[in-house]
Formats: sequence, structure tokens, C-alpha cells
Amino acid sequence: MSAATTATAARSTSGSVGRLLRSDAVARVASYAFLLVVWQLLAMWKERFPTPAATFGFLWIEVTGGSHGGIVRGEFLEHFAATLPRFALGIAISMVLGILSGVLIGGSKLAEALLKDTLLMLVALPAIIWAFLTQMWLGMGDTAVVITTFLSAFPFVAVNVVQGIQAVPRDLRRMSGVFHVSGLRRLRHMLIPAVMGYLFAGFRFAVIIGWNAVLLAEWFSASEGVGWRSRYWYDANRYKGFVAWVILFVGFIVLLDRLVLVRLQRRAFRWRDAQRSETERTVGEIDVGVTGA
Amino acid sequence: MSSTSVARAPRGEAQLSLAARRRVRGVAGLLIGVGGFLFVWTLLSELIFGEFTLPPPLEIGRLMWEIVRSGQFAHHFVPTILRLAYGFGLALLIGFPVGYLMGTSRWWRAFFHDMVMVAGSIPGITYAVLALVLFGISILGPVLTVGLISMPYVAINVAEGLDSVDRRLVQMSDAFGRARPAIVRNVLVPSVAPFAFAGVRLSFALAWKVEQLTEVFGSSSGVGFMIRHEFEDFSIPGMLAWVLLFVVFMILLERFVLTKLERYLFRWRLEDRA
Repeated sequence: MSAATTATAARSTSGSVGRLLRSDAVARVASYAFLLVVWQLLAMWKERFPTPAATFGFLWIEVTGGSHGGIVRGEFLEHFAATLPRFALGIAISMVLGILSGVLIGGSKLAEALLKDTLLMLVALPAIIWAFLTQMWLGMGDTAVVITTFLSAFPFVAVNVVQGIQAVPRDLRRMSGVFHVSGLRRLRHMLIPAVMGYLFAGFRFAVIIGWNAVLLAEWFSASEGVGWRSRYWYDANRYKGFVAWVILFVGFIVLLDRLVLVRLQRRAFRWRDAQRSETERTVGEIDVGVTGA
Repeated sequence: MSSTSVARAPRGEAQLSLAARRRVRGVAGLLIGVGGFLFVWTLLSELIFGEFTLPPPLEIGRLMWEIVRSGQFAHHFVPTILRLAYGFGLALLIGFPVGYLMGTSRWWRAFFHDMVMVAGSIPGITYAVLALVLFGISILGPVLTVGLISMPYVAINVAEGLDSVDRRLVQMSDAFGRARPAIVRNVLVPSVAPFAFAGVRLSFALAWKVEQLTEVFGSSSGVGFMIRHEFEDFSIPGMLAWVLLFVVFMILLERFVLTKLERYLFRWRLEDRA
């Protein structure tokens, strides 16, 4: 079978080979190959930096629970099992409080004047500050991690909800006032559809920023979990362990973002984006993502 | 176009006073906002957390003044800002060719697509610790981090900016026998540069945060280093003072310097936007 296809490929005009080489799929494969080569070169340049082969070997042992030599065994699921509840709880709290304060600030002129700048200040604060502060306030443990996640993610939810509420067209609001549309119907048909897209955007921000926050907080104040395990290998000077965990936690958030969050957000913004061009959508900050810091 | 010129025509006292009134309202809004911030903070400090856990604004303000007066501010801000600047320079340097390739060739667009899309969701701690492992305590870590973070934004904007280049201008240059390098230098670069800069401004807010994180992990100077230093001294007031100084400085830099600079770079476009 393969011999036959090779033969036909060879016999056909060189154009089809050229077309294959010029295809998007080959371009993508080439980009991954390029990254691997860069990684390999980095490892050859700096001896302490692990090669791709060493890292993936280590990753395999860590994930399958094999032996790292001596009595140290690979651990994988238990750390995700420790991190994910903290992460989920932190995000849940930040969603609830973010929506509440967003509605307050977006709905009341007074609250907006008083609290908008506070919110922008909170958006600007880096997650590491919360990781340090909660460590000093609460010591080691789950609470510090959950609170760091919540405090880092919450302002982004609130800001998005405020934007969503303020994006409700004023004419629509006035008209529903003139026609005495009931509060409940206004909520159902005007406010919720308008805010929903922004809320999803806020959710996506919260998840990406919260993931960085949870890792940082675990790095400094946990004794198990994804962030802690990365630090464990880092402190043990086994950098291939650290890089293996980088692959795990970056892979986790990238897959979550690309496969779930981006799609959710596109769906929620469908009504708005229908009239915008495809290019406009890929350029906006929304699609490039939000490196959590 | 005609409607805008009509709307602009009556340039009299009425409009001046409107602008003045708007400015007064802006300042008043800011004062109320800052007042609200300090009020919430004092409330939390006095009633809920207590002075030790969350020191009151006055104490932090005093510390901030102390940092500025003693010259420590300049001593640590200058390296941090320089690293940011080098990083953005790097992002522009790499982002331009990458964006050019992405904007002109489908193959290269597919080649860079995944890297550019994924770069945005990588947690900042990845950059910080990898930089430390690779470069140790060195200026390279923060600079490369800033470069890597803003490069995708620059590249995407450059690719987008290429679309906005006036084709007739390129055709005319061709018709008058201008060489390709001359066209690139005199037509393409000037019209794409503002887009590249917009990429820098978009990525600014994340770039400085991650840069500061790399300083927390591996640096011997800079604001991040001082934050780490105060943390290890177990000094909550010291940490808050450094962070707030930095955040306020960065917000001002973004609002006033970068936004003005961007408007300056984009000024040739304002006519068709207005």
C-alpha cells in the first residue's frame, strides 16, 4: 500500500509534492519540529537545561508512576487532584463575587465613581503579591492558595461584567422604560443576553489568570499540588522534572483554553461577531489570550 | 467626511467651555475614585483585618515617600524599565519579520499560528522559572521574557497592518521604478510601524507583570527583587509600598506616555478616522 502510494507520488508531477510541502499541515508540523530543534540546541548550549528526550523520558516515569531511582516514585494524578479543587473553588468564588460587584458598579453611578478605580488597581496588581500576602497572612495551606486564586481572578470577572452592563444600548434601556417593560422581562431579554458574552470572556480571563495564581500560590505555600511538585523538582536541582511539569501545566491550560473556553466564548459572542469580519476577530485581544501574571 | 467638518466648524467659546467642563469632571471623577480606594482600604484595615495584617494607607504612603526620597526608587526602577525597553525592542525586532511573513504568506501564517495562539495562555511562572534555570541571575531572563510575551502581539498587528497599506502607493512606487528595499523602507515600514507599536501597548500590561515576576525569581536588582526582599523580611508594609509605587507608575506610564506616543505615531491616520 505505502509502496504503491510512494510510486504514484513519484510518478505524478512534481507539483503535487510541492503542493503538499506548501500545505498548512506541513507548515504546522514544521513549526513543531522547529521548536524541538530550538529546545535541543538550548539544551546543548546550557548543560543544566534538559534535552527533549530526557524530559519526555522523565515525564513518562512521572505520569506512569515508575521509579525515578531509589525510593522516589513518579506522582501525577494526586497532584492534579490536590490542585483542581482549590482552583475550582477559587474560580467559583471569583465568579460569584465578580458578578455581584460588577452588577453593583455597572448598575449604580455612585458605586462606579467610588469603586471603578479601585477595581482597575486590583486588575493591575500581579498575582505574586497575593501569593506573598496570603502566605504571610494565613501561612501554608489550602486557604492561602484558594484566596490567591480568587483575589487574582476576581477583578477580571468584575471588569467584564461592568463592561457588559454598560454595553446595553441606552436606547433599548430607555425604550423599555417608556413601554413599561417589567424588570424581570428586562433582565431576561435585555440584560442577560448583553452581559452573557462579556461574562464568558471574564470567565476565560479568570481561568487563565487563576491558573497562574494557583501555581504561584502552591509554589510558595502548599505541600502537594501541581505548583508544589514543580517546585519540588526545581529545588532538587532536577530540572528535567521541572520542565516535565511545565509541559503538564502548560498543556493543561492550553487544551482547556483552546478546546473549551475559546469555543464557549465564541458561542456566547455569536450574535455580536456575526457582523464582524473573521480577521477582526482574530486580531482582538480576546483571541490571543491573557498570560496570567 | 463632510458631516464631520460641519460638526467641527463652530469652534467657539461654547466648545471650549465644554472641554473645560469635561476636564473638571474628569479630575473630580479621579479624585472621587482615589478617595473611594483609600476609603475602602482604610475601612478594611481598621475594621476587618487590623493594622498589622493590612497597614493603613497613611503608613504605606509614608513608606512610599521614604523609598522615593532615599533614592532607592530610582536605583531599582531604572533597571526594571530598561529591561522592559530592551524586551520591547526585541519584540519589535523579531515581531516585524514574523508579522511580515505571516501577513504575506499563507504557509508562514500556518507555521506561526499555533505558537502565537498558545503563547497567550502560558502562565507567567513558566517564563520566570525557565528563565532562571536557563540564564541564572541575569538580565537576559527578564528581557527575553518581555520579548517573548509581546512578540505575538506585535507580529499579529504587523500582519494586520500590512493589509492597511495603500496598494496604490505601492503600485505607483513600482511604476516609477523604485527598488523593492526603497518601497519597504518608505512605504511599508512607516505605515506598519504604528500597528507594531499598538501591539506593544496591548501587551504592555502583561509584559511588565511577568517581567517583575522574573525579577522576583531571579534578579539582584529591580522592583521584583525588592518585593521578594521585603517578603523575605516578612514586611507587609514594605511589600505593599513597593508594589503600589510600581503599579501606579506603570498605570501612569501606560496612560500618559504610551497612549500619547501611540496617538503621535497614528496621527497620519486620524483624518480618515475622525
